[in-house]
Order: sequence, then structure tokens, then C-alpha cells
Amino acid sequence: MMPIWTKSGKKHAVTLLKVQDCHVLKYISKEDSGGKSPALIVGGKNGSPFSRSEAEMKIFREAGVPRKQKVTTFNVTEDAIIKPGTPLYAAHFRPGQVVDVTAKTIGKGFQGVMKRWGFKGQPATHGQTKTHRRPGAISTNKASKVYRGKKMPGQMGNVYRTSFGLKVWRINTKHDIIYVNGSVPGHKNCLVKVKDTKLPTYKDCNKNPPFPTYFADGDEKLPEDLYDEEMFQFTDPSVTYA
Amino acid sequence: RSSDAGPAKFKPPSKPVIVDKQRQTAERRFLSPEFIPPRGRTNPLKFSVERKDMIQRRKVLSIPEFYVGHILAVTTADPYANGKTSRFVGICIRRGGKGLGATFVLRNVIEDQGVEICFELYNPRIQEIQVLKLEKRLDDNLMYLRDALPEYSTFDVNMKPQSYLDHEEVPVNKLQVRMKPKPWSKRWERPNYNIKGIKFELPEEKMKEAQKWSKPWLEFDMLREYDTSKIEEKIWKEVNEELKK
Repeated sequence: MMPIWTKSGKKHAVTLLKVQDCHVLKYISKEDSGGKSPALIVGGKNGSPFSRSEAEMKIFREAGVPRKQKVTTFNVTEDAIIKPGTPLYAAHFRPGQVVDVTAKTIGKGFQGVMKRWGFKGQPATHGQTKTHRRPGAISTNKASKVYRGKKMPGQMGNVYRTSFGLKVWRINTKHDIIYVNGSVPGHKNCLVKVKDTKLPTYKDCNKNPPFPTYFADGDEKLPEDLYDEEMFQFTDPSVTYA
Repeated sequence: RSSDAGPAKFKPPSKPVIVDKQRQTAERRFLSPEFIPPRGRTNPLKFSVERKDMIQRRKVLSIPEFYVGHILAVTTADPYANGKTSRFVGICIRRGGKGLGATFVLRNVIEDQGVEICFELYNPRIQEIQVLKLEKRLDDNLMYLRDALPEYSTFDVNMKPQSYLDHEEVPVNKLQVRMKPKPWSKRWERPNYNIKGIKFELPEEKMKEAQKWSKPWLEFDMLREYDTSKIEEKIWKEVNEELKK
């Protein structure tokens, strides 16, 4: 994570996401998946082929691509279908777009009710016998049952969670890095899924993206760094208020 | 006739040893501490990308070499001040943070009120950083100046910058600071702070009691070792090459 400054002098924190060896693996049509729209399976980050079964390796072999560690599905519209085997780059996104990031949160194991749900617990002194971090009462007398979904100790973390509405500030095409506003679930160097926002407030921000994706061997030659308009670039002179 | 043992062997005079002071002292390398990557499992690509940004900023604004204990004057752009710039003079108490988020805290006493401001080195609002007085202190962390008598933290706001030669060593000020009466914000007499710049006027029993919290095994702990010499050399070469371009 890094700080970033805007041209008006405000500071924002930014997470760096690296796009490492992403390839489109398979195309599933609407009828096959039984859903509302066709789907594309995308894989990222190469890994060793020996720890997966033959059935799983079939997809990678048909696409002609080394075995990927993370495999996800994206629901796509009809006109955005890409041929399996095409590589995907960070330039697929542009600065100014808004993005949702999904990842598995840091696993904390079996945790008690104070850490997992933020309960207050009980006082440390004044006669408390063996009760300092317990949940206390779990239901009322009239209910005479415990409701489903009652907050209790259990597994915390290591669960897929999404942070919505993250703005893209900058894209580095040479190293394939996306600078995304704010924090992202997961630990350092974890595998992450980046998608266009589903929030209605940012519908206008995602206009004119590279459609269906950015092709490296195409005619478009991008500079090494793409910056958002409001972002302060370090080649500019210092910020002054006239 | 008496024969000498031949003519005395010609002894050439000893060659003069030329000590080139300029070249000697130009070998002093200073790498700003925020360039050194911290120990962790982050991808080194992140540090190299960040370093490019830091070098870019240094080409626009020249950040001088400074240590804790120097007296600096910083001019920042302020939308609410007359002339849109504000200047603050103070002694650098500590330097923290790594990479682009590196900060330094300046302390001064203005009209009997102690003021500390934490500046970010790479903030684009900073117009100029000027070193007024070169002076290293005995410690890396001067936070104890908060509990010292205010005369040790007062510096003239209109101080003229002291001229200093480029290749001399940074002078170390072995000043022992006198403190206000206890209680202090932290127990500075304890050995975990390792402060050498205070003149402790406490009774001997208190000093001995403070030694109870000493951890003599810490300096031999091998897991805490982080040898940065090779990393520093690489980074220093890289930074210097980029800055010359």
C-alpha cells in the first residue's frame, strides 16, 4: 500500500495489484451454464501442474496455457466474448474506472465472540468468576429458543469478501500493476479477483473501456504509466495555491 | 689509501604522501533511511516501483541530507495563509516511515507553547526544505525534548542558514539535556530507550532500579539481525545513477 496525492494536495492510500500471467481459459455459452448471460473462465498466476487432478488439467491443456493457481468465472455480455488462450493485461482497466475487488480475507482461525463480533465482554474485577470474554446471554425467556444466525464463536477469516467502489488511480503497463484506492481484503501477495463495479452511482465512470479487452499485439501503443486526471504526478512541480 | 665501502648508496628521498581530502571525504555515502526496504514478505517489485517515484520527486524538489538533531526550515503551500505559503523552523526530533510515506517531526517552542509538526517528505505541497544548522545528536530519537526544559527546544524563527563545507563530517553535539521534574511522558531512564543525551539528576537507587528492565540478551538475538549493508549499496548506486540523469 502506498500514499498518493491529488493535484489539490489531498492524500489517499492506494493498494498495488499485480496482473500476473492472466489468460482466458474457456467460454461457456448461456445455454450450457443455464444462467442469464454467457460466462468466461479466466485463470491467473502460473503454478506447478503436479498437484492437480487430470480432469482439472484438461481445461488448461485445451486452452494451451500452463496451470493457473486461481481460476474464476466472469459473467459477460454476448459481444464481449474473447477467444480462450488470449492473455489479459493490466491495461484492460483505465484510470478513472471504478472496480470491485474480491479476495479471501486473512484467516484468524477459531476466534471468540469478542474478536469475531466485537462484543464488550465482562469486567476484569469486581467479583467476576471465570467470566471475562464470554458472550453472556444468548436469547430471551419469551423466545425459548436461540435464533438462527446468533453471533457466537467460530471460524473467523479465510472467507471470500468484496470491497466495492474502489477507484483506479494509475496503471503501470510495463509491470502490469493496477493502483486501486483504499484497502483490499486478503494478505500480502494473495490472489484477487478484480471486476467492474455493480454500484449504480459509478455507472457513468466506466464509459469507453478497452472493449472487449486490451490486446498487446494490437495497434494501440500505450505509454508506460497511465495516470488519472486528478492525480499528482511526480514529474510536475510542487503544488501551489495561486 | 683508505677505501670507503664504495660511494654511499644513493637513498632517494621518501616520496611525499598526497592526502586528497576532497576525494577521501567524497566517499562518505548517505542514503536516506526511507529508501531501505523493511523486512517482510512484500514483493521487491513494489519497492523498485516506489523508488522510481521517490527519485522523480527528488529531481523536482531537492531534499538535503539531514539527520535527527538538525535544525530545518520547511515552506509548505497553505491555502489559508497570506501569500499562500507557511514556513516552520524547528529541530528534527525523529524520522519515520519507509518509501513514499516517509515523515519527519520538527519541534519548536513559539511564544512559550511547544509545537511539533509532522511533515511528509514526498508531499507535493512542500516547496522547500532548508537546513539551517548541521548537528547530529547522541541519540536517534529526540522525543525526550518534550520533558526537557523549554530552552533546549527554542530556536529563532528567523535564524540565518549556517554555511558549511560539503565534504566535512557532520558534527556531533554531545549536549546533555536537563529535564523538568518527574513525571515524564515516558520513563526515559529505562535501558530500552537507550538514551545518552540526558543528564539524569535522579538518585542512584532510581537509576539502579531502572536497570532491572534491561534486556542484555537483545543484542545477541540472531533472529532480529537485519543486515542492510549490501542492500544499501545497491540502492545507493541506483539512486545516484538516476539522479545524475
